Amino acid sequence: MAQASLAHSVPSRPPLEVAVDRVWRFLCSVRAAIWEIAFLAVLVLVGTLRGSSVPRWIADHVPFTEDLVVRWYAWDVFVSLPFMGILTLLAVAIAICTANRAPGIWTSISRPTVATTQGFLRNAESSARLTSERPRQELAADLARMMRAERYRVLTEERNGETHLYADRFRWGKLGTFPFHLALILVLVGGVVGARWGFRETDFIVPEGVTRELGHETGVSIRVDDFSEVYDELGVAKEYRSDLTILREEDVVSTGSITVNNPLTFGDTTIYQSGFGQAVRLQVADQSGALILDESLPLGPYTAKTNPDAPAAVLDIPPAGVQLTVIAPDANPANQPELDQLRLRSGQMYLQVRPVNGSSPLAGVEESVIRQGETVALGDLAVTFVREKRFTVLQVARNPGIPIFIAASLLLVGGLAVSFYFPHRRIRGIVAAAPDGTVATLAPMARRDWSAQKVFGQVIDQIGQALPVAVERTDREAAERAEPGRTSAQTAVGLEPIA
Amino acid sequence: MDALVRLAFYCFAASSIALAGSAVCYLLFAFGWVRDRQPALAGAGASVGGPAVSLGIGAMAESFGRFATMLAWFSVLFQGLSIALRSVAAGRLPLSNMYEFSKTFIFLIVLVYLLFERWYGVRQVGTVVLPIAVGMALYVWSLPVSMREVDPLIPALQNPPLLTLHVSLAILAYATFAVSFAAAVLYLAADGRRIGWLPSPALLDDLAYRAVTVGFPAMTLVLILGSVWAHRAWGTYWSWDPKETASLFTWLIYGVYLHSRSLRGWRGRRSAVVLLIGFGAVLFTYFGNYIFGGLHAYGGV
Ligand code: HEM
Repeated sequence: MAQASLAHSVPSRPPLEVAVDRVWRFLCSVRAAIWEIAFLAVLVLVGTLRGSSVPRWIADHVPFTEDLVVRWYAWDVFVSLPFMGILTLLAVAIAICTANRAPGIWTSISRPTVATTQGFLRNAESSARLTSERPRQELAADLARMMRAERYRVLTEERNGETHLYADRFRWGKLGTFPFHLALILVLVGGVVGARWGFRETDFIVPEGVTRELGHETGVSIRVDDFSEVYDELGVAKEYRSDLTILREEDVVSTGSITVNNPLTFGDTTIYQSGFGQAVRLQVADQSGALILDESLPLGPYTAKTNPDAPAAVLDIPPAGVQLTVIAPDANPANQPELDQLRLRSGQMYLQVRPVNGSSPLAGVEESVIRQGETVALGDLAVTFVREKRFTVLQVARNPGIPIFIAASLLLVGGLAVSFYFPHRRIRGIVAAAPDGTVATLAPMARRDWSAQKVFGQVIDQIGQALPVAVERTDREAAERAEPGRTSAQTAVGLEPIA
Repeated sequence: MDALVRLAFYCFAASSIALAGSAVCYLLFAFGWVRDRQPALAGAGASVGGPAVSLGIGAMAESFGRFATMLAWFSVLFQGLSIALRSVAAGRLPLSNMYEFSKTFIFLIVLVYLLFERWYGVRQVGTVVLPIAVGMALYVWSLPVSMREVDPLIPALQNPPLLTLHVSLAILAYATFAVSFAAAVLYLAADGRRIGWLPSPALLDDLAYRAVTVGFPAMTLVLILGSVWAHRAWGTYWSWDPKETASLFTWLIYGVYLHSRSLRGWRGRRSAVVLLIGFGAVLFTYFGNYIFGGLHAYGGV
């Protein structure tokens, strides 16, 4: 028994464990993250170009791409499976990566390793050797004092008769990456919340004076009390405004005027001004004189076949078994006048009723042109053009994801600012006794980091000016550029850039 | 044309001349150093001494360099004046069509570059940045003359504080990305070869990164403010409009860059290549109006 277990003293790990480990490492890998983000970028590019003339151009210039381009235009990338998949993968990777990194980063902030080795200092790309006649402890204390004056946190440790020194600045800067990356997940969460629990009505049309239910289980209605527009001298609408009342049952929830860019918000719902058009109030009476319709009809969702510039409306009136068509005068008479077969004047309306099915009392199509205030008989219906009105086109959107976005935005920008503008700067060193005094060797942890090496140089300059020490600075890269082949140990040069 | 607008235009012309002169001087500066094949002298050159001929060329190149910097400052000055005058004439910052924001782009690209030049004490990057600025200026000159007038804004654009922030941050981001592009180009030229007159690859890599640490947060804010603005104007903070997604594309490429710098095998050469792609994305986003439809289709093209 004992022998058997000894034979398996290096057990091969169960496959599941190996697989989990592999997946975990994949999700933690920055290299994989690079490819994931790059893949996402490519999808975004494909989706962007879809909204352009580029695929068309490709189809026209590259043989045999027509099919591909047709499929390209048909493919809505941003709701596609690969797109959703990569977003999910990134979100999971960010979460795992954060969980994986947090403990290590926290340790390096709260309990960094102070001790270092001569090897590290020797191999650093830049370093400094300070020699002094003062005793070791005194020099170490002076160095610590100087660096603290430069706002570094300085930790020391005695080892084998040497003083090891660790100094760092902006250690909290390392934490900026967490709010930033978690905010990326929050953005996605906000998107999901908005899509799942929000709604958006893009063409919510309400004629002046009319109340319309919003729906979407809100129990809310919107009443347009007034609509007005202001034109500039060229006839371009400069501003348009709707005065709204928001009602729940009979109670007024909110009132306000909206213009483009100045929406009205109540709760997490916002109402935007997006357009306007002409409306007409009609009354229709049947044979007996009973009113079967009294409505403000928005004109404009339809245009007349005879003249695309003329706003029109089509309405079924089931009690009478007819369909009513209304056409207003050409909105832009200068535009294609040859199309305008109706030649309506301002203040006129073209009306037409046609039977919708066999049971209709109406035999054929009846039509007429009338002015405001007039009544006309069409078949056995009496239609009155009560007056011209406006309708407003609103957009109503509810998005419970907005607060999540706002939080995410703040974390994104704040996290980036902390990461970028408060970079963690670290210096290690050993102060040791030498035959004729004390030698302190210092080096920044700044592999291939020019700025950090420069900052280190500045700290050393400060020390060199303030303390009675001889400073010898080494910059391997500058040395190699100046005299290739010679190693840094042989050349001491400053950090000043070549200008 | 209103007198102020005309004056603004003259300032722009003056700035273009200074810009062209500066670009030429930067190129002469580079050319002088390249001719001077004494790399060891490149740094200490004039002060240490050396063979008379090469010292002559080196010193001349240095003067061209100083002159280039001075002209670049002139062009910034005149461009700034031009923008200020136009702002007074329009009652808002001039950021609402390709003519207006291309001018601001030129202004910021040169200004940002000059700040980096001062900060790092090297002027070689200017040999790439200034020609880019000149290219932008040529583009502005090629735009229809009618765009030099000041037009009223359509309703959807009438939101000055957000418009100003959103657009000016976008231009700032593009300007810094242009500078990082220039540094990346020189990095790729310097890396592995010994071209004496170029700054060290480490410095170029750092300069490029520094530029991105300004540009990336700016670009992040552009996306955020853009959605805030879209939320107010169009009722939806994100509509997968091509200009939006092009910006997102650009932002993601710089995300790739920032990660690439943290990988041992990627920092340097590969991350410089990512920067080249990134600037391609910037140009694509910037000139995308010419090929996109969509909500951003106004703005003069
Ligand atoms: C769209 C997705 C992502 C974007 C836009 C993004 C962006 C960034 C940015 C801007 C930085 C530099 C600033 C900072 O340190 O906070 C960064 C750093 C970092 N990211 Fe991401 N990231 C994304 C996804 C990921 C994923 C999935 C992982 C994990 C696998 C990851 C791991 C890291 C790490 C480890 C760093 C620190 C690198 C260093 O040491 O400087 N990121 N990321």
